[in-house]
Amino acid sequence: MKADTGKYGLKRWVGAGLIVAFVLCARALGLTPGGLIPPDAGHWERTGAFFAAALDPAFDYEDENVPDEADPIWWKGIKGVFLTLKFAFGAMSLAVPTALVLGFLGSSAWWPEPCGRRARALLRSVYLVSRLFMSVIRSIHELIWALLFLSAMGVSPLAGMIALALPFSGTLGKVFSEIIDEEARDASQALKAIGHGPVQTFLVGILPRAMPNLVSYSFYRFECALRSSAVLGFVGIETIGLYIELSHEEFYYREVWTYLYLVIAMIVVVDLWGAAIRRRLHTSTGGCAI
Amino acid sequence: MSGTVTSPDDCLARVDELKRQRARSPFLRLSAVVVVSGIVWAWLSSTPLLGRLPAERRWLNVKNFLNELVPAPVRQSGEWSDALPWAWNLLTDEGFLALLMTFAAATAAIILAGTLVLPLLPLASRRLARVDPFGLRAGKTGPLAAMFWRMIGPLVRFGFVLSRSVPEYLIAFLLISMLGLQFWPLVLALAIHNLGILGRLWGEVVENADDAPAVRAFAAGQGRSSTFATTILPGVFNRFLIYFFYRWETCVKDATVLGMLGLLTLGKLIALSKGFFWDQMFFYVLLGGSVIVVGDLFSMALRRWLR
Repeated sequence: MKADTGKYGLKRWVGAGLIVAFVLCARALGLTPGGLIPPDAGHWERTGAFFAAALDPAFDYEDENVPDEADPIWWKGIKGVFLTLKFAFGAMSLAVPTALVLGFLGSSAWWPEPCGRRARALLRSVYLVSRLFMSVIRSIHELIWALLFLSAMGVSPLAGMIALALPFSGTLGKVFSEIIDEEARDASQALKAIGHGPVQTFLVGILPRAMPNLVSYSFYRFECALRSSAVLGFVGIETIGLYIELSHEEFYYREVWTYLYLVIAMIVVVDLWGAAIRRRLHTSTGGCAI
Repeated sequence: MSGTVTSPDDCLARVDELKRQRARSPFLRLSAVVVVSGIVWAWLSSTPLLGRLPAERRWLNVKNFLNELVPAPVRQSGEWSDALPWAWNLLTDEGFLALLMTFAAATAAIILAGTLVLPLLPLASRRLARVDPFGLRAGKTGPLAAMFWRMIGPLVRFGFVLSRSVPEYLIAFLLISMLGLQFWPLVLALAIHNLGILGRLWGEVVENADDAPAVRAFAAGQGRSSTFATTILPGVFNRFLIYFFYRWETCVKDATVLGMLGLLTLGKLIALSKGFFWDQMFFYVLLGGSVIVVGDLFSMALRRWLR
């Protein structure tokens, strides 16, 4: 009963609490309504030029110094899209297997029953250590991982992929372990009862059933990996983000829009693809509540 | 059950039959082929995988880098106790303030996003935003209104897709060049991106919610938005909060990084100390990371309570 009144109380006060929180944060950050419009003539002009360029994306380079034999801009953009896809694919191919191992260690559905006190203590510590490990690797943003790896190893494709894969394995692993633990336990208990070991129970009784959810969540994270991969361009890895930053630096807004449209198209297509996959697997993105 | 299984052969035949009858989707198979070829291509085309530096040089770089992560006073004296005053100095100098700003920006952004999404949800719902919600007639509907109700759902949902398709870092980068270097671009970028994500997550909760109370309210003559506010919203409130906090956590992490564009969150301190003071940079990275780990534990407890 006590918990119930607590929840209703919470529901009533959440709205008011959020308004107060917003006002306090806005004051701390110095947000004023006036800040929502460009501050001076120069910024107005830039904003106007930027949005005007939206209707007129570049089909040729705005920079006149680009040699004639260079790739046409649309081809460069498409190459950028493929480079972005490449890092996302590479990173996910590292992250998903890692996350499966971490998700296995961080779940309790496969634990043998009955289980001695010492074995239980050991399993419990494995569970806690793997959960903590996942929490730590995903607590650092992929861009920061990228900065660290690039500084240590120099610019290389592998550095970019590992930088993306680390926090993604943490997130995937945590959600995987939750999906695994939330599956119905009838099959695994039946297997345990006829003498299957923990690993067999996991591979035969739990994993196949959890598969649709694991696949849809992995695909959802692939969409996130694509966005992150595009942003890796801003720390110097060659993806479409790098082209956007370079064109923007020179105020070539029409080129920026060409690349932007390509990024948006790429992500929308993958988003729709993911939705179609989820529909066929009868799953939702519910798993992303990490 | 038709027929009784008697011998092992029958058993195997039954297994074969079940296997033949299983649901198969050419679309899913094609998707699997695309994903596998994508992965193979990604690895084959990434050459040289480790970059162009010679191996010894790379190893030296890594060693130097790791050495530089040790706080400067410790490197001089060899005493780890000297790291404490150094760390305290970094915290009081700008660390605490940056941390506070990171939190404030994330909180303001997620509240803004949530507030903007809420009124859009009835318009995005596949069952409410139509001429005949839940298959019930909603009184007389003129041709214009009918067209509105046919178009609005797909439009709003596509709006969500668009707003989450551009990475927040990119939006912030573009907004800073328009609005100048202040916190609005950062807050707006996070809010725009999360508007799309909350729209999808909350939207799915609404689609999966129990219909019965809403159908009754609608049949009794309530309008679409009041049906949503009085019957659907209360039922899904706790799930909404769970997603809200999940996105808030992500916002804190993203706000940290968006500081790299020049606004005082931890990201700015990280970007500024990069290249010159690796030890400081690493300290700020760890500071940001530990805040997230603590937040993670907190939200785990909160989620358990809300469920």
